[in-house]
Amino acid sequence: MASTTSIAQVESDNRLLNALSVVPGVLLLAAIGFGGKVLERTINTYAKTHHWTFPNIEYVLWAIIIGLVLSNLFTIPRIFHAGIATYEFWLKIGIVLLGARFVIADMLKLGGISLGLVVIEITVSLALMTFLGRLFKLKPKLISLLAIGSSICGVSAIIAAKGAIDADDEDASFAMAAILALGALALFTFPAIAHGLHMNDVSYGLWAGLGVDNTAEATAAGALYSDAAGKVAVLAKTARNAMIGFVVLAYALYWAGRGQAEKVTNKAAFLWKKFPKFVLGFLLMSLLVGFHTFSKAQVASLGNLSKWAFLLTFAGVGLRTNFREMSKQGLRPFIVGAVGEVLIAALTLGLVVGANRICGL
Amino acid sequence: MSKDASPNAISKTSLLSLDTWAVIVALALALAVKFDVFKNVPW
Repeated sequence: MASTTSIAQVESDNRLLNALSVVPGVLLLAAIGFGGKVLERTINTYAKTHHWTFPNIEYVLWAIIIGLVLSNLFTIPRIFHAGIATYEFWLKIGIVLLGARFVIADMLKLGGISLGLVVIEITVSLALMTFLGRLFKLKPKLISLLAIGSSICGVSAIIAAKGAIDADDEDASFAMAAILALGALALFTFPAIAHGLHMNDVSYGLWAGLGVDNTAEATAAGALYSDAAGKVAVLAKTARNAMIGFVVLAYALYWAGRGQAEKVTNKAAFLWKKFPKFVLGFLLMSLLVGFHTFSKAQVASLGNLSKWAFLLTFAGVGLRTNFREMSKQGLRPFIVGAVGEVLIAALTLGLVVGANRICGL
Repeated sequence: MSKDASPNAISKTSLLSLDTWAVIVALALALAVKFDVFKNVPW
Protein backbone atom coordinates (compact mmCIF):
# COMPACT_ATOMS: atom_id res chain seq x y z
CA MET A 1 0.00 0.00 0.00
CA ALA A 2 2.81 2.33 1.03
CA SER A 3 4.75 1.63 -2.17
CA THR A 4 1.62 2.25 -4.32
CA THR A 5 1.14 5.58 -2.62
CA SER A 6 4.76 6.55 -3.14
CA ILE A 7 4.67 5.59 -6.85
CA ALA A 8 1.53 7.70 -7.28
CA GLN A 9 3.26 10.53 -5.41
CA VAL A 10 6.36 10.32 -7.67
CA GLU A 11 4.17 10.27 -10.82
CA SER A 12 2.24 13.29 -9.60
CA ASP A 13 5.52 15.12 -8.77
CA ASN A 14 6.87 14.28 -12.26
CA ARG A 15 3.73 15.68 -13.89
CA LEU A 16 4.05 18.86 -11.84
CA LEU A 17 7.74 19.17 -12.79
CA ASN A 18 6.88 18.65 -16.50
CA ALA A 19 4.22 21.34 -16.29
CA LEU A 20 6.59 23.72 -14.49
CA SER A 21 9.39 23.09 -17.03
CA VAL A 22 7.45 24.96 -19.73
CA VAL A 23 6.99 28.11 -17.62
CA PRO A 24 10.34 29.89 -18.41
CA GLY A 25 9.97 29.33 -22.17
CA VAL A 26 6.33 30.44 -22.22
CA LEU A 27 7.30 33.58 -20.30
CA LEU A 28 10.04 34.21 -22.90
CA LEU A 29 7.48 33.81 -25.73
CA ALA A 30 5.14 36.23 -23.95
CA ALA A 31 7.93 38.75 -23.34
CA ILE A 32 9.05 38.67 -27.00
CA GLY A 33 5.48 38.84 -28.33
CA PHE A 34 4.56 41.70 -26.02
CA GLY A 35 7.88 43.39 -26.84
CA GLY A 36 6.87 43.26 -30.52
CA LYS A 37 3.54 44.88 -29.71
CA VAL A 38 5.19 47.63 -27.63
CA LEU A 39 7.79 48.26 -30.37
CA GLU A 40 5.06 48.63 -33.02
CA ARG A 41 3.13 51.14 -30.91
CA THR A 42 6.21 53.11 -29.73
CA ILE A 43 7.76 53.44 -33.18
CA ASN A 44 4.46 54.43 -34.79
CA THR A 45 3.75 57.04 -32.11
CA TYR A 46 7.30 58.40 -32.33
CA ALA A 47 7.13 58.59 -36.13
CA LYS A 48 3.75 60.36 -35.96
CA THR A 49 4.82 62.96 -33.39
CA HIS A 50 8.04 63.70 -35.27
CA HIS A 51 6.26 63.72 -38.68
CA TRP A 52 8.42 60.92 -40.03
CA THR A 53 7.45 58.79 -42.98
CA PHE A 54 8.09 55.35 -41.57
CA PRO A 55 6.55 52.09 -42.85
CA ASN A 56 4.10 50.54 -40.39
CA ILE A 57 5.90 47.41 -39.21
CA GLU A 58 3.35 45.20 -37.47
CA TYR A 59 3.91 43.45 -34.13
CA VAL A 60 3.92 40.13 -36.03
CA LEU A 61 7.13 41.04 -37.83
CA TRP A 62 8.75 42.55 -34.71
CA ALA A 63 8.02 39.39 -32.68
CA ILE A 64 9.49 37.20 -35.43
CA ILE A 65 12.56 39.44 -35.86
CA ILE A 66 13.30 39.57 -32.11
CA GLY A 67 13.00 35.76 -31.95
CA LEU A 68 15.21 35.32 -35.04
CA VAL A 69 17.90 37.64 -33.64
CA LEU A 70 17.92 35.90 -30.25
CA SER A 71 18.07 32.36 -31.64
CA ASN A 72 20.66 33.11 -34.34
CA LEU A 73 23.02 35.40 -32.40
CA PHE A 74 22.86 33.75 -28.97
CA THR A 75 22.51 30.25 -27.60
CA ILE A 76 19.08 29.93 -26.01
CA PRO A 77 19.59 28.35 -22.54
CA ARG A 78 18.15 24.86 -22.14
CA ILE A 79 15.72 25.98 -19.43
CA PHE A 80 13.66 27.81 -22.11
CA HIS A 81 13.47 24.97 -24.68
CA ALA A 82 10.42 23.10 -23.36
CA GLY A 83 8.37 26.28 -23.12
CA ILE A 84 9.41 27.55 -26.57
CA ALA A 85 8.27 24.22 -28.04
CA THR A 86 4.72 25.01 -26.86
CA TYR A 87 4.31 27.60 -29.62
CA GLU A 88 2.30 25.07 -31.68
CA PHE A 89 -0.04 24.57 -28.73
CA TRP A 90 -0.76 28.32 -28.64
CA LEU A 91 -1.17 28.31 -32.42
CA LYS A 92 -3.91 25.68 -32.21
CA ILE A 93 -5.69 27.46 -29.35
CA GLY A 94 -5.53 30.64 -31.45
CA ILE A 95 -7.00 28.87 -34.48
CA VAL A 96 -9.91 27.38 -32.49
CA LEU A 97 -10.71 30.80 -30.96
CA LEU A 98 -10.39 32.46 -34.37
CA GLY A 99 -13.40 30.35 -35.43
CA ALA A 100 -15.47 32.87 -33.44
CA ARG A 101 -14.62 35.58 -35.97
CA PHE A 102 -16.05 33.68 -38.93
CA VAL A 103 -19.67 33.90 -39.93
CA ILE A 104 -20.61 30.34 -40.84
CA ALA A 105 -21.88 31.34 -44.33
CA ASP A 106 -18.55 33.06 -45.14
CA MET A 107 -16.69 30.08 -43.79
CA LEU A 108 -18.69 27.69 -45.97
CA LYS A 109 -18.20 29.85 -49.09
CA LEU A 110 -14.48 30.51 -48.57
CA GLY A 111 -13.92 27.05 -47.09
CA GLY A 112 -15.56 25.49 -50.16
CA ILE A 113 -13.37 27.49 -52.55
CA SER A 114 -10.33 26.69 -50.37
CA LEU A 115 -11.09 22.97 -50.37
CA GLY A 116 -11.40 22.92 -54.17
CA LEU A 117 -8.07 24.72 -54.52
CA VAL A 118 -6.48 22.54 -51.82
CA VAL A 119 -7.30 19.34 -53.73
CA ILE A 120 -5.62 20.73 -56.88
CA GLU A 121 -2.67 22.08 -54.87
CA ILE A 122 -2.08 18.77 -53.04
CA THR A 123 -2.28 16.67 -56.20
CA VAL A 124 0.13 18.88 -58.16
CA SER A 125 2.51 19.35 -55.20
CA LEU A 126 2.79 15.61 -54.53
CA ALA A 127 3.49 14.90 -58.21
CA LEU A 128 5.95 17.78 -58.53
CA MET A 129 7.96 17.00 -55.39
CA THR A 130 8.12 13.30 -56.30
CA PHE A 131 9.40 14.19 -59.77
CA LEU A 132 12.00 16.63 -58.41
CA GLY A 133 13.13 14.23 -55.68
CA ARG A 134 13.72 11.48 -58.25
CA LEU A 135 15.50 13.93 -60.55
CA PHE A 136 17.91 14.88 -57.73
CA LYS A 137 18.24 11.20 -56.69
CA LEU A 138 17.04 11.71 -53.11
CA LYS A 139 16.21 8.65 -50.99
CA PRO A 140 12.63 7.39 -51.71
CA LYS A 141 11.32 7.93 -48.16
CA LEU A 142 12.88 11.40 -47.98
CA ILE A 143 11.01 12.18 -51.23
CA SER A 144 7.77 10.97 -49.61
CA LEU A 145 8.36 13.17 -46.54
CA LEU A 146 9.22 16.25 -48.63
CA ALA A 147 6.16 15.67 -50.82
CA ILE A 148 3.84 15.29 -47.79
CA GLY A 149 5.42 18.28 -45.99
CA SER A 150 5.15 20.62 -48.95
CA SER A 151 1.68 19.55 -50.03
CA ILE A 152 -0.13 19.62 -46.67
CA CYS A 153 1.12 21.16 -43.49
CA GLY A 154 4.87 21.16 -43.14
CA VAL A 155 6.38 19.85 -39.95
CA SER A 156 3.18 18.35 -38.45
CA ALA A 157 2.57 16.35 -41.62
CA ILE A 158 6.18 15.14 -41.67
CA ILE A 159 5.93 14.06 -38.02
CA ALA A 160 2.59 12.31 -38.73
CA ALA A 161 4.02 10.55 -41.79
CA LYS A 162 7.37 9.59 -40.27
CA GLY A 163 5.90 6.88 -38.04
CA ALA A 164 3.33 5.78 -40.61
CA ILE A 165 5.87 5.09 -43.37
CA ASP A 166 8.68 4.04 -40.98
CA ALA A 167 11.10 6.72 -42.24
CA ASP A 168 14.57 7.42 -40.72
CA ASP A 169 15.05 10.21 -38.17
CA GLU A 170 17.69 11.65 -40.50
CA ASP A 171 15.27 11.84 -43.46
CA ALA A 172 12.64 13.47 -41.27
CA SER A 173 15.05 16.12 -40.00
CA PHE A 174 16.26 16.84 -43.59
CA ALA A 175 12.67 17.31 -44.73
CA MET A 176 11.74 19.44 -41.70
CA ALA A 177 14.81 21.67 -42.07
CA ALA A 178 14.03 22.28 -45.75
CA ILE A 179 10.37 23.07 -45.04
CA LEU A 180 11.20 25.36 -42.09
CA ALA A 181 13.90 27.29 -43.97
CA LEU A 182 11.57 27.85 -46.91
CA GLY A 183 8.74 28.83 -44.57
CA ALA A 184 10.98 31.49 -43.02
CA LEU A 185 11.77 32.87 -46.49
CA ALA A 186 8.07 32.88 -47.39
CA LEU A 187 7.37 35.19 -44.44
CA PHE A 188 9.27 37.94 -46.20
CA THR A 189 8.67 37.14 -49.87
CA PHE A 190 4.91 36.44 -49.92
CA PRO A 191 3.77 39.82 -48.52
CA ALA A 192 6.27 41.68 -50.74
CA ILE A 193 5.03 39.93 -53.90
CA ALA A 194 1.38 40.47 -52.91
CA HIS A 195 1.96 44.19 -52.31
CA GLY A 196 3.64 44.36 -55.73
CA LEU A 197 0.60 42.70 -57.33
CA HIS A 198 -1.90 44.82 -55.28
CA MET A 199 -3.72 41.68 -54.14
CA ASN A 200 -6.84 42.08 -52.03
CA ASP A 201 -6.96 40.64 -48.49
CA VAL A 202 -9.03 37.57 -49.35
CA SER A 203 -6.94 36.60 -52.39
CA TYR A 204 -3.68 37.08 -50.50
CA GLY A 205 -4.98 35.18 -47.45
CA LEU A 206 -5.96 32.26 -49.68
CA TRP A 207 -2.56 32.32 -51.37
CA ALA A 208 -0.67 32.36 -48.05
CA GLY A 209 -2.83 29.51 -46.71
CA LEU A 210 -2.28 27.42 -49.85
CA GLY A 211 1.34 28.31 -50.62
CA VAL A 212 3.08 28.45 -47.21
CA ASP A 213 3.57 25.00 -45.73
CA ASN A 214 3.87 25.24 -41.99
CA THR A 215 0.70 26.37 -40.20
CA ALA A 216 2.52 28.84 -37.92
CA GLU A 217 4.32 30.48 -40.87
CA ALA A 218 1.14 30.55 -42.99
CA THR A 219 -0.70 32.29 -40.14
CA ALA A 220 2.15 34.76 -39.68
CA ALA A 221 2.49 35.40 -43.45
CA GLY A 222 -1.24 36.17 -43.58
CA ALA A 223 -1.18 38.43 -40.51
CA LEU A 224 1.84 40.31 -41.89
CA TYR A 225 -0.35 41.52 -44.78
CA SER A 226 -3.45 42.46 -42.78
CA ASP A 227 -5.76 41.20 -40.05
CA ALA A 228 -8.39 40.17 -42.63
CA ALA A 229 -5.79 38.35 -44.75
CA GLY A 230 -4.56 36.55 -41.62
CA LYS A 231 -8.09 35.24 -40.95
CA VAL A 232 -8.45 33.90 -44.51
CA ALA A 233 -4.95 32.39 -44.45
CA VAL A 234 -5.88 30.40 -41.33
CA LEU A 235 -9.11 29.20 -42.96
CA ALA A 236 -7.34 28.04 -46.14
CA LYS A 237 -4.54 26.43 -44.13
CA THR A 238 -7.07 24.66 -41.92
CA ALA A 239 -8.81 23.24 -45.02
CA ARG A 240 -5.40 22.00 -46.16
CA ASN A 241 -4.61 20.50 -42.73
CA ALA A 242 -7.91 18.60 -42.78
CA MET A 243 -6.53 16.49 -45.66
CA ILE A 244 -3.51 15.24 -43.70
CA GLY A 245 -5.02 11.88 -42.72
CA PHE A 246 -5.96 10.92 -46.29
CA VAL A 247 -2.55 11.72 -47.76
CA VAL A 248 -0.57 10.07 -44.94
CA LEU A 249 -2.86 7.00 -45.19
CA ALA A 250 -2.21 6.76 -48.95
CA TYR A 251 1.57 6.88 -48.36
CA ALA A 252 1.36 4.39 -45.46
CA LEU A 253 -0.55 1.94 -47.71
CA TYR A 254 1.98 2.47 -50.52
CA TRP A 255 5.00 1.73 -48.29
CA ALA A 256 3.23 -1.15 -46.50
CA GLY A 257 2.47 -2.65 -49.94
CA ARG A 258 6.21 -2.66 -50.59
CA GLY A 259 6.88 -4.30 -47.23
CA GLN A 260 8.72 -1.23 -45.94
CA ALA A 261 6.18 -0.03 -43.35
CA GLU A 262 3.68 -1.57 -40.94
CA LYS A 263 0.31 -2.67 -42.40
CA VAL A 264 -2.67 -0.39 -41.65
CA THR A 265 -5.30 -2.70 -40.14
CA ASN A 266 -8.04 -0.19 -39.30
CA LYS A 267 -8.20 2.64 -41.85
CA ALA A 268 -10.95 4.59 -40.04
CA ALA A 269 -9.01 4.55 -36.76
CA PHE A 270 -5.86 5.62 -38.65
CA LEU A 271 -7.71 8.55 -40.26
CA TRP A 272 -9.17 9.68 -36.92
CA LYS A 273 -5.77 9.43 -35.20
CA LYS A 274 -4.11 11.59 -37.86
CA PHE A 275 -6.99 14.06 -38.24
CA PRO A 276 -6.10 17.47 -36.73
CA LYS A 277 -8.72 17.86 -33.98
CA PHE A 278 -8.31 21.65 -33.82
CA VAL A 279 -10.09 21.83 -37.21
CA LEU A 280 -13.21 20.49 -35.45
CA GLY A 281 -12.73 23.00 -32.61
CA PHE A 282 -12.47 25.82 -35.18
CA LEU A 283 -15.75 24.75 -36.84
CA LEU A 284 -17.49 24.28 -33.47
CA MET A 285 -16.52 27.78 -32.33
CA SER A 286 -17.91 29.31 -35.52
CA LEU A 287 -21.14 27.32 -35.09
CA LEU A 288 -21.50 28.47 -31.45
CA VAL A 289 -21.16 32.10 -32.56
CA GLY A 290 -23.61 31.43 -35.43
CA PHE A 291 -26.19 30.27 -32.86
CA HIS A 292 -25.70 33.54 -30.90
CA THR A 293 -24.16 31.79 -27.90
CA PHE A 294 -21.95 34.84 -27.32
CA SER A 295 -22.74 38.56 -27.25
CA LYS A 296 -20.97 40.95 -29.64
CA ALA A 297 -18.57 42.08 -26.89
CA GLN A 298 -17.81 38.45 -26.02
CA VAL A 299 -17.05 37.62 -29.68
CA ALA A 300 -14.62 40.57 -29.69
CA SER A 301 -13.02 39.18 -26.51
CA LEU A 302 -12.64 35.74 -28.12
CA GLY A 303 -11.02 37.37 -31.15
CA ASN A 304 -8.58 39.21 -28.88
CA LEU A 305 -7.75 36.03 -26.94
CA SER A 306 -6.98 34.43 -30.31
CA LYS A 307 -4.60 37.31 -31.12
CA TRP A 308 -2.77 36.85 -27.79
CA ALA A 309 -2.36 33.14 -28.52
CA PHE A 310 -0.98 33.96 -31.98
CA LEU A 311 1.41 36.48 -30.43
CA LEU A 312 3.11 33.65 -28.51
CA THR A 313 3.18 31.60 -31.73
CA PHE A 314 4.89 34.33 -33.76
CA ALA A 315 7.58 34.72 -31.09
CA GLY A 316 8.07 30.93 -31.26
CA VAL A 317 8.39 31.00 -35.07
CA GLY A 318 11.34 33.41 -34.75
CA LEU A 319 12.99 31.54 -31.87
CA ARG A 320 12.60 28.18 -33.58
CA THR A 321 14.25 29.34 -36.84
CA ASN A 322 17.97 28.70 -36.50
CA PHE A 323 19.71 29.08 -39.87
CA ARG A 324 22.98 27.57 -38.58
CA GLU A 325 21.22 24.32 -37.57
CA MET A 326 19.33 24.25 -40.88
CA SER A 327 22.47 24.72 -42.99
CA LYS A 328 23.96 21.56 -41.41
CA GLN A 329 21.21 19.43 -42.98
CA GLY A 330 22.64 19.31 -46.51
CA LEU A 331 22.00 21.16 -49.73
CA ARG A 332 20.18 18.68 -52.00
CA PRO A 333 16.93 18.34 -49.98
CA PHE A 334 16.94 22.13 -49.65
CA ILE A 335 17.34 22.63 -53.43
CA VAL A 336 14.53 20.15 -54.16
CA GLY A 337 12.37 21.89 -51.55
CA ALA A 338 13.23 25.37 -52.85
CA VAL A 339 12.57 24.57 -56.52
CA GLY A 340 9.36 22.76 -55.60
CA GLU A 341 8.16 25.54 -53.28
CA VAL A 342 8.77 28.28 -55.87
CA LEU A 343 6.78 26.30 -58.45
CA ILE A 344 4.01 25.55 -55.91
CA ALA A 345 3.89 29.25 -54.90
CA ALA A 346 3.53 30.21 -58.58
CA LEU A 347 0.86 27.53 -59.13
CA THR A 348 -1.16 28.54 -56.06
CA LEU A 349 -0.89 32.21 -57.03
CA GLY A 350 -2.28 31.29 -60.46
CA LEU A 351 -5.09 29.25 -58.82
CA VAL A 352 -6.06 32.13 -56.52
CA VAL A 353 -5.99 34.71 -59.32
CA GLY A 354 -8.15 32.34 -61.41
CA ALA A 355 -10.59 31.79 -58.51
CA ASN A 356 -10.77 35.56 -57.97
CA ARG A 357 -11.77 36.06 -61.61
CA ILE A 358 -14.34 33.26 -61.57
CA CYS A 359 -15.82 33.55 -58.05
CA GLY A 360 -15.01 37.21 -57.27
CA LEU A 361 -13.15 36.80 -53.96
CA MET B 1 17.21 25.29 -30.72
CA SER B 2 18.06 21.71 -30.01
CA LYS B 3 16.05 18.89 -31.52
CA ASP B 4 14.83 17.64 -28.14
CA ALA B 5 12.49 20.57 -27.85
CA SER B 6 9.72 18.84 -29.77
CA PRO B 7 6.42 20.64 -30.45
CA ASN B 8 4.65 17.68 -28.87
CA ALA B 9 6.43 18.16 -25.53
CA ILE B 10 3.15 18.98 -23.79
CA SER B 11 1.35 15.82 -24.87
CA LYS B 12 4.25 13.41 -24.36
CA THR B 13 3.08 12.39 -20.92
CA SER B 14 -0.61 12.78 -21.65
CA LEU B 15 -3.29 10.39 -22.92
CA LEU B 16 -4.72 13.15 -25.12
CA SER B 17 -2.99 14.63 -28.16
CA LEU B 18 -1.67 18.19 -28.30
CA ASP B 19 -4.54 19.07 -30.67
CA THR B 20 -7.17 17.77 -28.28
CA TRP B 21 -5.64 19.67 -25.36
CA ALA B 22 -5.62 22.83 -27.46
CA VAL B 23 -9.34 22.40 -28.23
CA ILE B 24 -10.13 21.75 -24.55
CA VAL B 25 -8.19 24.85 -23.40
CA ALA B 26 -9.76 27.03 -26.14
CA LEU B 27 -13.28 25.87 -25.20
CA ALA B 28 -12.52 26.47 -21.51
CA LEU B 29 -11.41 30.01 -22.40
CA ALA B 30 -14.60 30.50 -24.43
CA LEU B 31 -16.67 29.35 -21.42
CA ALA B 32 -14.76 31.78 -19.20
CA VAL B 33 -15.65 34.58 -21.62
CA LYS B 34 -19.27 33.41 -21.85
CA PHE B 35 -19.72 33.47 -18.06
CA ASP B 36 -17.88 36.81 -17.69
CA VAL B 37 -14.81 35.42 -15.91
CA PHE B 38 -12.92 37.40 -18.57
CA LYS B 39 -14.76 40.62 -19.36
CA ASN B 40 -13.70 42.67 -22.39
CA VAL B 41 -10.31 41.09 -23.13
CA PRO B 42 -8.15 43.98 -24.39
CA TRP B 43 -5.78 43.97 -27.33
